[in-house]
Formats: sequence, C-alpha cells, structure tokens
Amino acid sequence: MSLLIKNGIVYDPINNIEGEKMDIFVSDGKIASDAKDAKEIDVNGKLVLPGGVEGHTHIAGGKVNAGRIMRPEDSRRGAEPRSKLTRAYSGCSVPNVYATGYRYAKMGYTFLMEAAMPPMAARHTHEELIEIPIVDKGAMPVLDNHWMTMECVKDGDMDKLTAYIAWMLKATKGFGIKIVNPGGVEAWAWGKNVSDLHDRVPNFDVSPAEILKGLSVANERLNLPHSIHVHCNRIGSPGNSETTLETYGLLSDVKNDDRQVMHATHTQFHGYGGENWGDFCSKADEIAKYVNSHNNLTIDLGVVMFCDTTTMTGDGPHEFNLYRLTRRKWSNHDVELEVGSGVVPFVYGPKIPPHAIMWAVGIELPLLIDDPWKVMMTTDNPNGCPFTFYPQIFAQLMSKKKREAMLEEVHPVVNSHAILPSIDRELDWNDIAIMTRGAPARLLGIDKHGKGHLGIGADADIAIYDIAPKEVDPAMDYKSIERAFSYTAYTIKSGEIVCKDNEVVAVPKGKTFYVDPEIDDSVMDTMLPDLKDKFKECYSINMANYPVQDAYLPNPYKISTKGT
Amino acid sequence: MAEQKITIKPKESFKIPVDGYIIGPDNMAGKSADDINEMETWHGNQVVNLGALFEITVDGSAGPEDTTITLEGDFSRVKRIGSGMGNGKLIVNGDVDMHCGAVMMGGSLIVNGNADSWAGREMKGGELIIEGDAGDYVGSAYRGETVGMKGGKIIVKGNVGDYVGEHLGGGEIEVGGDAGILAGVNMIGGSITIEGNADLPGAEMTNGTVTVKGEVEMLPSFRFEGTESVGSVELRKYTGDLAVRGTGKGTLYVK
Repeated sequence: MSLLIKNGIVYDPINNIEGEKMDIFVSDGKIASDAKDAKEIDVNGKLVLPGGVEGHTHIAGGKVNAGRIMRPEDSRRGAEPRSKLTRAYSGCSVPNVYATGYRYAKMGYTFLMEAAMPPMAARHTHEELIEIPIVDKGAMPVLDNHWMTMECVKDGDMDKLTAYIAWMLKATKGFGIKIVNPGGVEAWAWGKNVSDLHDRVPNFDVSPAEILKGLSVANERLNLPHSIHVHCNRIGSPGNSETTLETYGLLSDVKNDDRQVMHATHTQFHGYGGENWGDFCSKADEIAKYVNSHNNLTIDLGVVMFCDTTTMTGDGPHEFNLYRLTRRKWSNHDVELEVGSGVVPFVYGPKIPPHAIMWAVGIELPLLIDDPWKVMMTTDNPNGCPFTFYPQIFAQLMSKKKREAMLEEVHPVVNSHAILPSIDRELDWNDIAIMTRGAPARLLGIDKHGKGHLGIGADADIAIYDIAPKEVDPAMDYKSIERAFSYTAYTIKSGEIVCKDNEVVAVPKGKTFYVDPEIDDSVMDTMLPDLKDKFKECYSINMANYPVQDAYLPNPYKISTKGT
Repeated sequence: MAEQKITIKPKESFKIPVDGYIIGPDNMAGKSADDINEMETWHGNQVVNLGALFEITVDGSAGPEDTTITLEGDFSRVKRIGSGMGNGKLIVNGDVDMHCGAVMMGGSLIVNGNADSWAGREMKGGELIIEGDAGDYVGSAYRGETVGMKGGKIIVKGNVGDYVGEHLGGGEIEVGGDAGILAGVNMIGGSITIEGNADLPGAEMTNGTVTVKGEVEMLPSFRFEGTESVGSVELRKYTGDLAVRGTGKGTLYVK
C-alpha cells in the first residue's frame, strides 16, 4: 500500500528536519520520494515524528513473567476484553504481551529493546517477543556475571572472551552486551554484593572494573552496532554517584569514531549523593557535568513517576534491599552460571523524601545535559514507572509550569536536596524527537537499518500526533502535550496504518533484530573446548540444546558484523 | 415521596453463570421495564438482554436512593449482584453466587438465603446482610491486593467459610455462626466479631480487632494481656500477630 502524508509538521532529527511542513511518501513499507496510487492523509499541521524507539525496557522473559505471576492485582488494572482484531489486555506495570504491543503502538512507538535477557532464558524471551504485536524488537543478553566471562577476564584472555561473547550473541539471537552490576550478581549467589568497582568477586578474583573493561574490548573487537550497555554497581544506594562516575571514567581513553563506547543505563538510579537515606540527595549535576564534557559516553534516564509499579532487574541484591523496605512480595532467581534477577512490587509516593528526590533526578538529568543526542528517554519500564507515563514526563521536560505544579505536590525535601526547582530549561519539540527517536536509534546503531528516521529508504514507521506544534506553546499548555502524546492520531508501521485515534486497526507481526558477529574460526575453535567443558560440568542443559533455533525468530532482521 | 419498586425473577434455572453486576438501584432507578429489559449483561461468553433472562416488573419511578429491587427465586448462578451499588435497597429472596455486594459503596443489600464466596469483597460502605451462610473470603481483598473491605458493615447470620475479612482495612463484619480457618488473616484495621467457633484467627494481623466468642484454636504468636468484659461476656485479650515485625497492634478477644 502507498501513502502520502500531507502537510505534516515534521521533526526528523537524524535528517536535520526541524519542524518543516512537508509531505511524506510511503511505498512498499519504506519512506519513498514518490508513490503511485497513494492513499492521501492530510494531517494539516499536525506533529509528524518517526516511530518511537524505546532503547531500554523490560517487556519479555522470565522477570516480566515472574512479575505477572506474583501480581494478580496488577493484572486487574488495565484489563480490556478482546475485540475482533485485538487480544485481551491485562496488566499495568507488568502487562501481557498483547497490551505491551498495543499500548506502545498507540503511543507511537514502533521499536522496543528488551534490556535484560538472561541467556539461558533466551528462548522464553523470544517466545514472548514473537507474541508482542505490531512493533519491532530486539533483546540484549546479560553477559557480565558469567563464569566464562570472569575466567577470561581473570586470565586476561581477550581472544577467548571475544569468542565467548560472539558465541553467546549467536546462541541467544541477542542484540548487544548488557552488563548488570558486574560481579555483584555472582556475589549475590553467595549472599553478598560488591561494594565498589575494585572489590573482588568471590571465587573469581576479578573486579567489576576488570569485567567492564574486558567486555568493552570484546564489544569493540566484534564491531557491535551498540556499545556495552551498563547497569552500574550500587544501584539505588545513597552516594552511588561516585561509583557511577568512576565507572564512566574507566573507558575515558577508549574511542570509537561511529558511536559511544559506553551506554550507562537508567542513570537516575545511579545519580545519588549522601551517605544514608537521611542526607540522600541528587547528584544529577555531577553526572551531567561528566556527560557534557565527554563524547564517548551516553545515558538513558530511568525516570521515576509516582505510582504503583513492579521493579525488576538482574541485580538480585538490589531487589533484596527493596524487599526489606517493602516487605510485600519478592521473587529471586538464580540462573545457573550466568545471571540472577529479582522482582519486587514498589510504590513511589510523592511525600516520601527519597522517592521525591529520585523523581527529581530523573527530570534533572535531561535538562542538565546540553546535548540531547547523548540521552535516550526511558523509564526503565517498569522500574521507574510504566512506559505509559511518557506523556506526563514529556510535559514536565517541556514546561517549567508543569514542573512547578508537580513540585507543589511532592515532599519539600526536593527544594534542599535536589536541583530541579532551580532549573529553567524547557525542552522543545526537537529535543523530545531526538531523545525518543533519533538518539535511541543512533545509540543502538539501528539508524543505519532504517529505524528512528524518515529518510528515503527508511522503514515507514511514522507517528502522527493530534497537536499542531506551530500553534501550541508547550511551556504554557502542558495539558495538551500530555493528551497529545498519550495516543497518536495515526501510527504507521512499515507503511501500514496500525493505530488510529487510540484504536488498534491492524496487527502485523514485527521483526526481531539481532546481531550476528563473525570472528575468526581459529579464535572460536580455541574457546569452544572450554565452553564444552562448562556445559558438561556445570550447566543443567546440554550445549547442543542451548542455542535459540531460527524458528523462534519468525521475522528475523540480522545485523552482521565482522570482528577483528 | 416517589418510590420505585422493581421485581426481577429468573425465567430459567441457569446452568451457565450470569454476570449480575448491572443489577442494582444505581443502574436501574428511573428506568421503565422496557428499558431494563434492554440492558445488556453477560451470560457465559454471550452478551444478552436482561429481558431474555429475567421477568422484570417495575412499579413507579424514583432516584436510586428511593428504589427497592427485589430478586425472587434462584440467583445461585448470578454473580456480582449489587456490585458497586451506592444507594437504595436490594433484596434477594434466594441464594446468590460469588462476589455479591463486591465494592459496594452504600445502600442496603439483603440476601434472604446463602451467598457464595467473596461476598462484600473490597466493600467501601453500606450494609450487606446475609441471612444464611456465606462462603470464603467475606469482606476480603481480591487476589494480590493489600487492602480488602475498607468500610460499611457485613452481617452474616449463619456460618462463613475461610479467610473472612482477609486484609480487612476498615468497617465491621459480624458472623452469627462459625468461621473457618484464618479469620482476619493479614488484617490491618476494622473489626470482625464471630459468635461461634473459629480456627487460627488474626494470623499476620497488624491492626484491628477480632473477637471470637465460641471455641477457638489460637496461634502461638499472640501476647496475653488479661481479661476484659466485652458486652456481657468475659473474654481474654491478646495482642499480635507478633510474627509480623513484632509490632502486635492487632487485638484478639477469645473466650
């Protein structure tokens, strides 16, 4: 089907288009320069953006499923019956796979990156990804606390490590290297955690810093489209910004001409000062100062909003700490010699001082970082809040008035222990377009594969919002921002209209993006005997049964890279 | 003063459950018999008109607070009767299925028969009277929730099943007969009075009051505080449940 989208106000940051009134042609699922027999949609001054790219979210796999199982009360919220076209919805912070696809698509998102796939659970993760309708997706395997990884790092054998990472990416049909509390998750298997970057991991005699550096080497040698994706140590603790900044500094001398060399994720959870919960405070300024002065590091936000949500991370010890605070429910997983994870329901309350400060940090970061290309908009869904809070977050970033209204509702500790009240900056439409489209696509390296922009030949993933950016002043009229970003007038996925005015009108299957790194056979062959031994001696699963078969990616999109 | 009286009788004995959430004064007040006949609900997985399932007669017209609905016959396969009702009166001359009076906000719901489980689940206000027995989870929370009934009053003249007042947050529950196991489990407020026997009442309670006047099997995690007269009887007073963070702000009176 061909489409002609007429008279839209287009923001397409990757192609330097900033609020131009223009027509867009769509043909054969791609953006085209012309189209025959095109169906015309006159959007008459409405906001037209590339389809949204969610760079870090938890939507599929064991953790999400554990959340669903332990939270029947969450399933009740947001339940909707099936229709002729759509499956039944359920859930709010841990929705079923259908609700995930429909809701993201209705908000104009067309690409989702599942940010923590335990390699052993890769098959399950892909099973869920298959069932998430409409959107394209990918998943990053967690690779840092693996026994093999740590042994290679300890031996300083970067060849073997590179081969192991390549094998794992192939076996899991994964997208990139996710790192979660390096060393700490293995320590948690012994009821411990690591206290800083130079602490030693029990039984492996390596430090988090060494693991990070090693994986960075492997990442660069494999020429992966994305950098290492790092969940730093000491998440959620007072004073953790020191560790965060030290982690950033580890790779300060590593360069890559095409992209960042480290992506630090849900930075809000890593940007705190103070020594305890009493003097807990924001260090967003120091994080921003580092990001502003270095060009090889990017971040995403992990914004907290006040709500009842479900926290889930591979960071097992952190979830245990949360459980000790909430004393409600707690799920803890140990994934053999690879990773762990935890799930805890959590309520962020505006009158609870640490929560109010966490909220402030999440909003401060994008306002204090000068270059929006270094920032992916995320809520670390559902850890900070469910992704459905994006419209409210955009409104806060675009309107100081909205922030002032929020500040009146939250605990006054924010005035003394956070920076937000003193910030005047208001983001514009282009900044939001960068943080939700251009930057995540570019930082993940999928801009070269037709995502996150509207250049000729790009995938025709388009979000059209019912708001006229040339007529509305977002700073004053923040309510219309919230409403407009809640659902699109049209979401177009691969050239097909999939949502119209908050209704799902088509449910195509999306693609799954994965990376297939090629390395020298000789390097791989040197590593394989060790891996075979590991499977034989330690795993509960046979090596031949481990890799995810092609059948689990019915619509694959392979990104091949050549390692050195 | 204007009054409205509505009478509803089943046309058949239902084998497949009917969703009765729509049966209540708030939804039906001011409507004619024809209007009510055309209201839709679920019978199994089919949407049907009420008129297809029930014989409906209407006398007068009034607001919800002056409306009385009488259900005559076997409603033992009609769920969620009076769910969320806020005003008026609903009388059932027969048995009801699960979730009767769930999330009720006000008004009065009288069941002259037995109720299945979840009666008055997550109730917020009003009065629910069950003349016969009730099943499990009377006035409780729903699966996974942290607070159940928050207000209003439930009176069950007969026996109740297990977990009466689970996660009770407020309001009163009175049981004329016996209760099963774990009355008031996880309760955080409100009161439960059981005239008959009960096993393991007040488990993991952190606040509120449970009174058991019949035979009781106690949990060991309660602290004896002495005896007290409650009404006309002398009861032993305990505080607990000390198994939860050792706070023990809940009160348990037993014979």
